[in-house]
Amino acid sequence: MTEKNPDKGHVALFGWSLNAIDAVDRFDRRYLVVAPPWAEEYCAQNDIPFMAWDFDRLNERSYELAQRLEERGVDVAIPIFEETVEWAGAVNAVLLKNPRLLGQSMLFRDKSLMKRRAQLGGIRVGVFEEAHDRGDVIRFLKRVNETLLKLDGDPNDPIHFKAFDKSGTAGHRVIRTPEDVDNIPDEEFPALLESHLDGWEFAVEAWIKDRKIQFLNISEYVTLGYSVFVPATPELEAHRERITKEIEKLIEAFDIEFGFIHPEYFLTSDNTLYFGEVAYRPPGFNALELIERAYGFNGYQGLVVAFDPKTTKEELDAFFPEAVTDAKGHAGCFGVYPRRRVVSRLEVPEETANHPYFEFHELSDPREQKVAKRSAFGTHWGLAYFFGDDPHKLRDLLKHQEELDFYV
Amino acid sequence: MSVEEAPDRQGDSTAGAPDAQAMRLCGTLDVAIERLERARPFAKTRYQRPVLDVAARLLSVPGGFAALCTRAMRMDRAGLFAGSDWDTPEALLPQLSGGTLVSDDPIYRALEASSLARFLAVASGAGRHDNLHSEGARHFLTQVLALNLRDTFGTVDEAQRALGDRLTVKREILRHIAETVGLTDVLGVMVSEIWRLLEQRSVQVGVVKDMIAQIALALHERGAELGNTRLGAERLVSALFGPTAGSLDDPGIDAYLERIAHTDEVGLSREAMGFARAMHDTGLVSDYHAAFLRWALDYRDRPLVPEALGLGTTGLDSWRHYRRVIEDLIRAAVTPATPQAAYGLAMLLERGVLHNAPMVPALDRQLRLRLKGATRDRIALGFGEAAPPETHLLAGVLQILGQPLGVGQGANPTCQSARAIAMWALIDPDYLLHLIGQAAEFETVQMQFEGTEINSTDLPVGLAGFGPIDADPVSVLLVTHLDRIYAEMGRLCAGREGDPHRWINPQFHGWWVARGCAVAVDVATGKLKAYEDFLRRFFLTYHPEYNGGRPVSHPQPAGIAVTDANAQFVGWHAIAILRVAEDQTGRMRVYFYNPNNDSGQNWGDDVIVSTGGNGERYGEGSLEFEDFLSRIYLFHEDPLRVDDEVEVPAEALADVRRRAVASWAAERVPDADVAGSDA
Repeated sequence: MTEKNPDKGHVALFGWSLNAIDAVDRFDRRYLVVAPPWAEEYCAQNDIPFMAWDFDRLNERSYELAQRLEERGVDVAIPIFEETVEWAGAVNAVLLKNPRLLGQSMLFRDKSLMKRRAQLGGIRVGVFEEAHDRGDVIRFLKRVNETLLKLDGDPNDPIHFKAFDKSGTAGHRVIRTPEDVDNIPDEEFPALLESHLDGWEFAVEAWIKDRKIQFLNISEYVTLGYSVFVPATPELEAHRERITKEIEKLIEAFDIEFGFIHPEYFLTSDNTLYFGEVAYRPPGFNALELIERAYGFNGYQGLVVAFDPKTTKEELDAFFPEAVTDAKGHAGCFGVYPRRRVVSRLEVPEETANHPYFEFHELSDPREQKVAKRSAFGTHWGLAYFFGDDPHKLRDLLKHQEELDFYV
Repeated sequence: MSVEEAPDRQGDSTAGAPDAQAMRLCGTLDVAIERLERARPFAKTRYQRPVLDVAARLLSVPGGFAALCTRAMRMDRAGLFAGSDWDTPEALLPQLSGGTLVSDDPIYRALEASSLARFLAVASGAGRHDNLHSEGARHFLTQVLALNLRDTFGTVDEAQRALGDRLTVKREILRHIAETVGLTDVLGVMVSEIWRLLEQRSVQVGVVKDMIAQIALALHERGAELGNTRLGAERLVSALFGPTAGSLDDPGIDAYLERIAHTDEVGLSREAMGFARAMHDTGLVSDYHAAFLRWALDYRDRPLVPEALGLGTTGLDSWRHYRRVIEDLIRAAVTPATPQAAYGLAMLLERGVLHNAPMVPALDRQLRLRLKGATRDRIALGFGEAAPPETHLLAGVLQILGQPLGVGQGANPTCQSARAIAMWALIDPDYLLHLIGQAAEFETVQMQFEGTEINSTDLPVGLAGFGPIDADPVSVLLVTHLDRIYAEMGRLCAGREGDPHRWINPQFHGWWVARGCAVAVDVATGKLKAYEDFLRRFFLTYHPEYNGGRPVSHPQPAGIAVTDANAQFVGWHAIAILRVAEDQTGRMRVYFYNPNNDSGQNWGDDVIVSTGGNGERYGEGSLEFEDFLSRIYLFHEDPLRVDDEVEVPAEALADVRRRAVASWAAERVPDADVAGSDA
């Protein structure tokens, strides 16, 4: 463990992430991992400060958790997963004596509330509605397409279906036909329905302290659910100023004093920015690692700096680099899904293996998995990492990976 | 961690200038290593795989292992081995190393290579490790080298050929280790391995000469430490670098020629006999020997040539009859780039093949032959420009005619073609010269299949692509044609029931291949079919006690199911049965030719092919009759002969069947037979 600075804050990580623990263990803050009891033995063996907590239970005991953390001298809780965002809000409301933090976290957890709040804050959002059953979905699909003046028999414009409280692409479905609606399992309701926006989709990672953006990264999606890279192309970075203004609106609308947000946006062909959704936790797809590869700072340590109430201004300025200009190159990753129905082994395509931008992969062996039919975006079998100087070349390379078989 | 690195990093000096790809991969590897270094011990696992992933790619580019070596200690310190068996190097077993280096999983190959790189760093003093001292590391590497000697220098067999690039990488790793660690301790093992190879009198001796050159260096550097192994080693080195009184000090060719110009007759005779003795002892021809022979052609006082070739009665007889053509052949074929032609010539004369009427004119034609176009380029590509392609080809012709069973297929899947060349060289040498002439002059080979004309240039390339370049010159010339013709004959058999070799083999090789054919396996199902009858027919065809004492007069092609040392099936392979006879202890043995470069193989279940000591002639492999039969799946027999009255003991057949089913036929027992297989 790195020598800890007693003058700095003591943070609690909510949720089990070895990457986060590894990063924070190397940092100068005291920390505590709050995770389910199954992790206890592992933490004892590896000298990882640990407190067992079952986040699956209802939130009613959050005051008890807050008190126990206070006794251990913890200053602030950092949510690592979507499921712990509300817990962290409730606990931080107690630890930081700021009751509004609980309400704020509820907004982050409910995609419908989140959308309305953004709309109230003057942020542009697409057409959306809540769905409690399949009938609601059919109605929305029909109405959206009527609005678009489609005739009977014209192919429908798709709509998006997102389970209320799932993160990322989990529970995200694209609905085109009534048959797609039939395939939605009961447990994914209630859900948020959104009209489809044709445009450039991207995500933002913003570290916030004292209501100010400390570092703003734009992650360009090549294909949602497949690939992303940072920093974005100059064409997207050209909108940085507008994007920054949008994030500032989010800070106001959601009353964000500190922390880390991960919103998604659409830039449509008429140059309008639409807000999609926002999460108050690290993004999936190992985006923080891409940022570390490009900029050299560790995103989890950045989280600690942003959450810790004892962080100083000087420390913030020293910690975060200058966006875009300080990047050593562009880092991207590609989520691999098997393309064939039957696969027997992992074989990185030769053109990928020999490409100068290809670094390494974390793909699992097919013997560990079966090819399941993909319904929702589902889970990829691992990521392949790329790094290079030319963002356009990297983008096209990531796109091209979709046509290759990694599993044969 | 408990590892330290000395300032002078080992490997930098030997790595040379790595190419751009290696440089780039090194950069990526460093990124992966940095991530691993940063990670806490509990998080290492996740970052190990990317390091190994990049290392595996780096290994397959030139200079890759050397680059890995410079990072070995750093990778170890970073925690590459944490959580695996490799984390305790002192407990690793050297006998597992070679297998892991060619494992299916590139991650394991990279792990083993990284581990060996760490041993190398510790052995050379470039790095230190708490649980591993320099002597221990060196001992470990020595054992790995000795256990993998074949892959360090040696030739390639079927099981290995299937590995392709993996083997290339393994060989590069072993060679790199051998360069750094030196070979002193490995020498004893090497010397006996070389003698074992030499006894087979392979046409290709490049690898063996290379090994002997290594030994010469080791003798020079550490001769005093060698003790008992020194004698065998010196015999090899002197055969190559100083076989006679006049060349003992390895003076250089020019100085040597200067020296013999002033040597008296007795001395010259002693030189000639010295060369001959060393050559027949080892099958290797020293460069001095080649120079002496050419010099002796113009020495008129006394015929030194037959003495220097070490000719016996048949050879001397040939010399007396055909002195002119022999001198022409020496002048044209025995050069500093092709010394081995001398041994081929000596053996050719000893076989008496010049007495076969077409041979002298055929060789005269060969002497005048000029290679054309692509053929010329291929020979130059395979053998270099030190001598003209015609010289290489002529030298190859002499070697193949002198050592028919020394033909090897190289690292190519062309056992049928290599076997054909060997069999023609053995019994149809004038026909072989005819094919060589056709291929050299017209870049084609013509044959007929049951009346259908086949012309190799009209055919698509076969198994071997455009043919091997790592074989002898005759094979380099012919195999591409033969391979295509063989494949075309297969196509012409399409639609016929049963194994096509029944028709191809006699048409392809010659009238002397028996027209009947027995196959142990049903072609459609892959299962054994009428196997007892198959075994019985083999006894009746080949075993002198059951066939009325008829010897094998011409080599007969046969197919074997090759098995590895664990008796696991590897693949089908073409060989030729040469003779069946009792060995010195009265056991019946089959003597056969294996186009593989090294016949001495362990086929598992105590079936170990012998290449010497059991009555084998040069280039023959042998097995006891039943052992051999247990691996045979196809043979030719005379369809006219019916030997119904002869009984082969049922227990003998059952025993062979048991051994086949315990090895290659394990998965091939027909379902109906499983219950009643004891019968």
